[in-house]
Amino acid sequence: MNMSPRARRRAIPLLAATALFAQPALADAPTNNGAAQVAITLTGENGGACVLDHDSAAAGPITFTVTNESAPAISELELLSDSRILGEKENLAPGLPASSFTVTLDGGDYRIYCPGAAEDTVAFTVTGESKQRAQSAIGDLLDEGTAGYANYVEGMVGAMVTASERLAAKVDEGDVEGAKAAYAQARPFYERIEPDVEGFVLPGTDPTDNSGNLDYLIDMRASNLDPAVGWHGFHAVERDLFEKGEITDETKAYAAELVKNVKMLADLSGGIEYRPEDLANGAAALLEEVQSGKISGEEEAYSHIDLVDFAANIEGAHQAFAFLEPGLKRIDPDVAETIAQRFADVQTMLEDYRDPDALGGYKIYDAELRKSDAVKLSRAIQMLQEPLSRIAEKVATAS
Amino acid sequence: MRGQDDKPAGLSRRGLFLGAAALGGTFATAGQAAETGKVAPDAMPDPDQRRYAFYGTGPQAGISTPPQQHLMAMAFDLTGTDPRALQVLLARWSASIGLMMEGQPVGPVEPDRAAATALETGEALGLGPAGLTVTVGLGPRVFSTEMGLAAKAPPHLRPLADLPSDALRPEISGGDLSLQACADDPQVAYHAVRILARIAKRTGAATVRWTQLGFGRASAGAGQETPRNLFGYRDGTRNITTPEQLAQHVWANDGPEWQHGGTYQVMRRIEMHIENWDNAQVSHQNDVFGRHKLTGAPLTGTDEFDTPDFKAKNAQGEPVIPRHAHIRLAAHETNEGIRILRRGYNFTGGLNAVGRLDAGLFFISYQNDPAHFEALQRRLGASDLLNEYISHTGSGLFWVPPAAQKGSYIGAPLFAGV
Repeated sequence: MNMSPRARRRAIPLLAATALFAQPALADAPTNNGAAQVAITLTGENGGACVLDHDSAAAGPITFTVTNESAPAISELELLSDSRILGEKENLAPGLPASSFTVTLDGGDYRIYCPGAAEDTVAFTVTGESKQRAQSAIGDLLDEGTAGYANYVEGMVGAMVTASERLAAKVDEGDVEGAKAAYAQARPFYERIEPDVEGFVLPGTDPTDNSGNLDYLIDMRASNLDPAVGWHGFHAVERDLFEKGEITDETKAYAAELVKNVKMLADLSGGIEYRPEDLANGAAALLEEVQSGKISGEEEAYSHIDLVDFAANIEGAHQAFAFLEPGLKRIDPDVAETIAQRFADVQTMLEDYRDPDALGGYKIYDAELRKSDAVKLSRAIQMLQEPLSRIAEKVATAS
Repeated sequence: MRGQDDKPAGLSRRGLFLGAAALGGTFATAGQAAETGKVAPDAMPDPDQRRYAFYGTGPQAGISTPPQQHLMAMAFDLTGTDPRALQVLLARWSASIGLMMEGQPVGPVEPDRAAATALETGEALGLGPAGLTVTVGLGPRVFSTEMGLAAKAPPHLRPLADLPSDALRPEISGGDLSLQACADDPQVAYHAVRILARIAKRTGAATVRWTQLGFGRASAGAGQETPRNLFGYRDGTRNITTPEQLAQHVWANDGPEWQHGGTYQVMRRIEMHIENWDNAQVSHQNDVFGRHKLTGAPLTGTDEFDTPDFKAKNAQGEPVIPRHAHIRLAAHETNEGIRILRRGYNFTGGLNAVGRLDAGLFFISYQNDPAHFEALQRRLGASDLLNEYISHTGSGLFWVPPAAQKGSYIGAPLFAGV
């Protein structure tokens, strides 16, 4: 179970680290070739350090030359003004030649950010004429993104209500095959947005009591069955349809209850306000869902439509990312590009698993396919998880 | 268990350290500069503080340095063909290994920023260097035309030939990069590989292909007591240890100068059919190895280090050491003088798919031409009595570049002009 939408950690503001960092005052950097020259050395000492030879320069062109001497944990460096990245270097590895970037700076306070260093932020001052600096629009871009994402979630929940009703109707008709198809059509809606809507507890129940846990009532699996609360929701219907192959009065009761609970979810989830890091964390949580539930085949133990859920998890994560992307491109264009590319890679890979004749449009994820392909699927997700797990910090501290 | 008249006095820690120091200056105590290589035995710190130098001008550590107690091996596949990605990975790996071999974390464990994810995972904090060595190998595909590194290929690097009795499983074979992490504390070895795998993932340059945990060293270095394999036999009594032998058989010196001090690493996962072996008569077991189980002496001798007499016949006129005994087929006397440095570890993976013990020898050897391993294994694979009790299920061949010098990284000359 993930965090509820209301219980999230707060990121510590960047400035706190800056204030703690006391570097002895150094002279203005000397000028050479028309630009002030600042050397930055990364060392592995004391848990990793990012050391400037000059901590100030006169306004104008400034060249920062970065050498990673011995700091494997520090592989990138950014020059920041507020949340804006004015210059950066990536792939800084010990032993590689020094690399440099030149920027023209007005007077003011800047920060050198070295993620991975024990003290990851170093103050840098530019002296002289200070012009009015434009306010960052990054916060606005991120706000637009969170609002857009809220609409997306609302749309998914609405569609889930409709799809659940269709499933219940087929179950009521006693149409096993029709109900199986409706089941496969209803599943992706929940899987696209699960981290955003799984934290609700019914009024008057204890948070630890599964009978009041809406996520349990909608999406419990055999593997997390609480004997005191029993079978409910999607997977109870799945079990009857795919394992037992029959619709009983109990099945009908499960389906009707599912519709009731999905509607309740729609009521409760309306109007949630998201912060940028919620989108990032939600996207990361969806990838964890893929790794923990789908690749193992645990999620859809009877229907084996795990690849349908897999694709839905990816789509949901991609949507969350896409709503952050305009802001993230301003904060860290390289990471934004890397993640966009890896989403594209995963989606390309998923094309190989499409099967228009199969339930939900993807190959049935049976034991044989699991055996041959699980490692490949897991690796593709890992490659995406790693950069994605780092954007929460970037957007949280930028907004 | 050794005879009282053994040449190296029964192994003490002191003896082991002297052996290590004699081996070429790759060993240093916590209080001394790693480069000096001189060790005062009386000043020995506790084993957790034992450490080897990562940087240097000779071969990488972890080959001729005395085998530690534990192994964690891992192989990787490159994800692309950009040599720059490999360069960044090797540079970050090298600096990380350098720190970890000093017992240092690779970065902050608990970064200031609450939302940060740290590179350093923390599970080896306070454990000391524990004699850690991490040895980096490069597989044949690194030197492909697509990578633009074909011109830099070591002269003998290529996939291993198909060998008799191979039952290789692709998912635990091959790979483009290898890591051999050895330490006297298994958590230190595991931590090292975990961190390096994390860097591979972060750079996106490589993904994990297979991994193997070894729990007890199965080969002896200079001055070390010959250990026993899981069949209960001393293995590697005739391993090579002296600098002269290493120069002749292990260090490759026939490529361009920057490759000198490199070597070829063979890794083989050899499963042992433990239950069958344990039900075999000890006399048969002795015939299989050509040695006595308890003493380790050849069937023609009384002491472990007695030279086997392959010509000796019994009363029936049969060779005392059977024609297909393991020591006969593996002996350099019967292989045109070919010798390899063995540095294997015992392993277990619990139970296998059919409920039997999954265990065996994770064989690692170093030689200056992989054809030498192939020649030995061709003979062994074809007719070794031991074949009835083992299966070779994993295999990899890697070229191990020389050590990096301070301020540089392993394999740096590969990227000059690329």
